[in-house]
Amino acid sequence: MSERPNIVDHNQLFRQDKYVRQREEKRAFEAPCSPEEVTDTLEYTKTKEYKDKNFARTAVVVNPAKACQPLGAVMAALGFEKTLPFIHGSQGCTAYFRSHLARHFKEPVPAVSTSMTEDAAVFGGMRNLIDGIENCIALYQPEMIAVCTTCMAEVIGDDLSAFLANARQEGVLPEDMPVPFANTPSFSGSHITGYDAMLRSVLETLYNKSGRTAQPGHELKLNVLLGFDGYTGNFAEMRRMLGMFGATYTILGDHSSNFDSGATGEYSYYYGGTPLEDVPKAADAAGTLAIQQYSLRKTLGYMKQTWGQQVSSISTPLGIRATDRLLEEISRLSGREIPEALKQERARIVDAMMDSHAYLHGKRVAMAGDPDMLIGLIGFCLELGMEPVHIVCSNGDRKFEKEAELLLKSSPYGAEATVHSGQDLWHMRSLLFQDPVDLAIGSSHLKFAAKEAEIPLLRVGFPIFDRHHLHRYPIIGYQGALNLLTQFVNTILDVMEEQAPDHSFDLVR
Amino acid sequence: MEPAVSNGRLEVSCGNKIPKSTPCPRPVPGEASGGCSFDGAQITLIPIADAAHLVHGPIACLGNSWESRGSLSSGPELSAYGFTTDLGEQDIIFGSEQKLHESIRYIVSRFAPPAVFVYTTCVTALTGEDIEGVCKAESERLGTPIIPVNSPGFVGSKNLGTRLAGDVLFQHIIGSTEPEQTTSHDINLIGEYNIAGEMWHIERLMQQAGMSILSRITGDGRFREVGWAHRAKANMVVCSRALLGLAVQMERKYGIPYFEGSFYGAKETSYSLRQMAYLTGDRDVERRVDKLAAREEMRLSLELEPYRKQLKGKRAVLYTGGVKSWSVITALQELGIKVVGVGTNKSTAEDVSRIADRIGDDAEYIPEGGARQILKTVRSRKADMVIAGGRNMYMALKEQIPFVDINQERHKAYAGYDGLLSLAKQLVHTLQHPVWELTAKLAPWEEETEFAD
Repeated sequence: MSERPNIVDHNQLFRQDKYVRQREEKRAFEAPCSPEEVTDTLEYTKTKEYKDKNFARTAVVVNPAKACQPLGAVMAALGFEKTLPFIHGSQGCTAYFRSHLARHFKEPVPAVSTSMTEDAAVFGGMRNLIDGIENCIALYQPEMIAVCTTCMAEVIGDDLSAFLANARQEGVLPEDMPVPFANTPSFSGSHITGYDAMLRSVLETLYNKSGRTAQPGHELKLNVLLGFDGYTGNFAEMRRMLGMFGATYTILGDHSSNFDSGATGEYSYYYGGTPLEDVPKAADAAGTLAIQQYSLRKTLGYMKQTWGQQVSSISTPLGIRATDRLLEEISRLSGREIPEALKQERARIVDAMMDSHAYLHGKRVAMAGDPDMLIGLIGFCLELGMEPVHIVCSNGDRKFEKEAELLLKSSPYGAEATVHSGQDLWHMRSLLFQDPVDLAIGSSHLKFAAKEAEIPLLRVGFPIFDRHHLHRYPIIGYQGALNLLTQFVNTILDVMEEQAPDHSFDLVR
Repeated sequence: MEPAVSNGRLEVSCGNKIPKSTPCPRPVPGEASGGCSFDGAQITLIPIADAAHLVHGPIACLGNSWESRGSLSSGPELSAYGFTTDLGEQDIIFGSEQKLHESIRYIVSRFAPPAVFVYTTCVTALTGEDIEGVCKAESERLGTPIIPVNSPGFVGSKNLGTRLAGDVLFQHIIGSTEPEQTTSHDINLIGEYNIAGEMWHIERLMQQAGMSILSRITGDGRFREVGWAHRAKANMVVCSRALLGLAVQMERKYGIPYFEGSFYGAKETSYSLRQMAYLTGDRDVERRVDKLAAREEMRLSLELEPYRKQLKGKRAVLYTGGVKSWSVITALQELGIKVVGVGTNKSTAEDVSRIADRIGDDAEYIPEGGARQILKTVRSRKADMVIAGGRNMYMALKEQIPFVDINQERHKAYAGYDGLLSLAKQLVHTLQHPVWELTAKLAPWEEETEFAD
C-alpha cells in the first residue's frame, strides 16, 4: 500500500493549540456577557417558565420539522418511468429539492424549473412554462413531464391547465406526451400532501389518457402504494414479502430505483420507476394496499371513487403487530395464505426482541416525524416496552392526534405520552428539558435538540443527511423490525459502554 | 495578474468581456438550475453567527434549507437556528404583517440577538407586505436593529442575491458601530464565508505578518464587527465577485482601497498577503509578508513533494461556482494537475477571462449546467477526476469517476498554504482508493466470457 496521507478534517484541525488560542483571543470582544450569565440563561431556557413561554408562541416557527409540498411532488414524479419532475416557479426552490433529496439518498436527482423571474411575476409564467417544456424535452428526452407549482406560481394564480393546453397548441408539447400536474403551494400542507397531490394526478392523467374504463377485480394483481417513503429498502422488502406470497402486484409510485441505482459507469437521468402503461391497467386490480394513509388521502380517494377499487390502508407497518396486520391484508386482498417462511421469520424476530428486551424495557422516548411514520413508531415502541413520552408532529392534524392517542391508550407504556401536532423542534427542546427522556427518534434535524439534552438520537424517517445507508435497509415488515431493533438496542449499548465505569465495562451484554 | 488597486473603475454590474459566457446569465426555463436570489442573500448573511435570521414566507424556503451550510462559527450559533413565519393560506389572503411583528418580538425577547435579518421571499414580495415598514417600526420599538433583506427568489440568480445582500450590509450595517481600537494594519475580508474553517487559516497567516482582520464579511462574523468595517485600511474581496460591488461602494464612500484575491494555492495566497501589506502602507509589514511567504512556500514545496509526484499530469474537470472556477485552477496547476474542463455556468465575464488567462484554450468550457455536459467533457478529455459540489457528486460517482468535493458541504479547509497541502493530500487519497480498481475491472464472470470469445 502506498503511503497514506494524513488528512485531518476540521474537527481535529481546529482543535490544535494555535487555532484554539486564536479563537479565544477573538472571543474577548464578541462575548460581552459573563460566562455566569451565559450559564444562567442556558439554565433558564430549560425551566418550566421558559417552556410555557415557548408554547405560548404563535407567530414564529423555530427549527421546522417539515419540508414543502413540491418536494413531495418531486419524489412522487420520480416513482414513474422516464418522468421528469418539472417545477413551475422561481428557480431556487428546485435547487433546494434536488439538494435535499440528494443529501438524503446520496443519489443524483433530476428536476427542472421554469425559472420564473420578475417579469413572469408581473405578466404570468406561461412563457416560462412553454419555453421550459421545449427546453427540457430537448435536453432530457422524458416520456412524461410531471409539473408542480411553487407558492410563487400559486400566488400570481397561474393556470396550469390552460398553459399546458397552449403548449400543446403551439406544438411545443407533443399531443401524446402525458403531463400530469398538481397545485402544490408551500403555504398549505407539507411534503406529504405534495406527494399525494402529484401521485393522484399521475394516476388520473395516465388513466384518462388510456381511454379505458376501470373494471375493478378483473385482474388478480394487487396495487401497492408505499407513499412518501425515504427508505428504498422498504420497496425491496415489500417486493420480497409479496414474492413470498406468490402475489402479483403493481407498485404505484416506485421511486426506489431512481434513488438507489448502481454505479455501472454510466449516468442516466432515469433508472426505473413504475412503467407508465402499468398505471391504467392498475384500475382493473383486485384491490389496493397502501402502507401510508396521511400521505395518500387524495390518491386513495381517487382510486376508490373513480376506479372503484377496494382499498386497504394502514400506517407504516413497523414492528410485529403492524406487520401482522399487513400480512393479513395482503392475504385478504390476494386470496393467498400467509407463507410459512414469513411465520418463521416472525418467530425469529420475536426471539430477537426477547433477547434485547431487558435493555429497551422502560426506556423513555421522544419522537418527531411524519404522521404515518410516527404511528408506526409508537406501535413498535409499545411492543418493545419503550415508553413514548413526547410526540411532535409538525404536519399532523386532528385525525392524527386522535389515532395516536388511541394507540397510546392501548398500552400502559403509552400512559405518559402527549401528542403535539403542528409544533416544531424548538418546542421539542423544551419538552426534552422539562420532562427528560432516554432516547430521541427522528430525522437528522432532531440532532441539535438531542445533543443539548445529552441523549442519543435514533435516526428514523426523512431526511437523514448525516448518516450513510440507513435508507437502504428496510424498516417495514419483520425484517425491518429487526433492523430497527438492532439499531435501537446497539445504540443503547454504545451509550452504556461510553458511560460505564471500569467495574461495569462488561464483555457480555 | 489583476490590477492591484481599483480606482473605482469597476462597476457593480457584470461588465461585458465575453468569451464563451454571458455575464450574470438569466436563469433558463426547463434546465436543472442552481439557487435563487433568496438563497444567495441567505448564504451571504447567515455566517453572521450571532444574529437571528428570520425567513418571512411559507415553509419552502427554510424548511428545505436550514442548517445546510458549512460556514463555521467560533462562538455564537444563533444563525444556525431556523426561524420562519411559516405562512399558511390565511396569511396569504389576509396579510401576514402582524405575524411578522409578533415573530420579531418573540425572537428578540427570547434570544436577545444583536440584530434580526428578515428575508423577503417570493410570496411575501408578491403579496406586497410592507416588510421594510415592519422592520423599521420594530427596530424603534425594540431598540434592536431589524434589517430587511429584500431579495426574493424570483428576482434572479444566486449571484444577484449575494449582491443584494452586499447592499444590505452597506446600507444598514456598515458604519453603524465604532471599533474599540484600530491599528494601521486592519483589513476587512469580504466574501469569505469560513467554509470548513478556511478563514481561520487565513487569519493566522495575517496575524503572523502583523496584520489583523477588522471585519469578517461574513465568515465567522459578528453583527457589531461588520458595523465597524468602514474603519479598515483596506478591503480584500475574497473569492466572490458577487460582493465586489460592496468593496466599490466602500471605496467611494469611505475611501477604502480594495483588491480582489484568493487563498487557493500558494501563489495566490502569497499574492493576496502582499497586496494587503502593500495597502497598509507599512514597509515593515511588507517585509514580514515577504519573509513569511518565502518561508511558507519553501516549506510547502518540500511537504508537497511526494504528493506532486503522484498528481503530476493528472487531468481534472472543475465544475464549481463563480470565482472558485479560476482560483482553484491555480492551486491545481501548482500541484501539477491539468485542468481539462471548467464550468463557467455561474462565472461572470471577468471570471471567465481569468480562467482564460490561466488555461487558455487548452480546456473545454462548460457554459451550461447539466450532468451530461460535464460527463461528456470528462470522457472526451480523458479526465481522471471531477472536482465539484454536492449536487454533481453523485452523478460523477455513478460514472465511477473519482470525485473531490470543493463546495460548501465539505469538512476540509483548502485555503492558504496548509490548505493547499490538504487539497493535495485529499486528491491523492481520492485517486488511490481501491474502489477505482474495482470499477476499472470487469466482474470475474464477465472476464471469463471475454476469454471465451
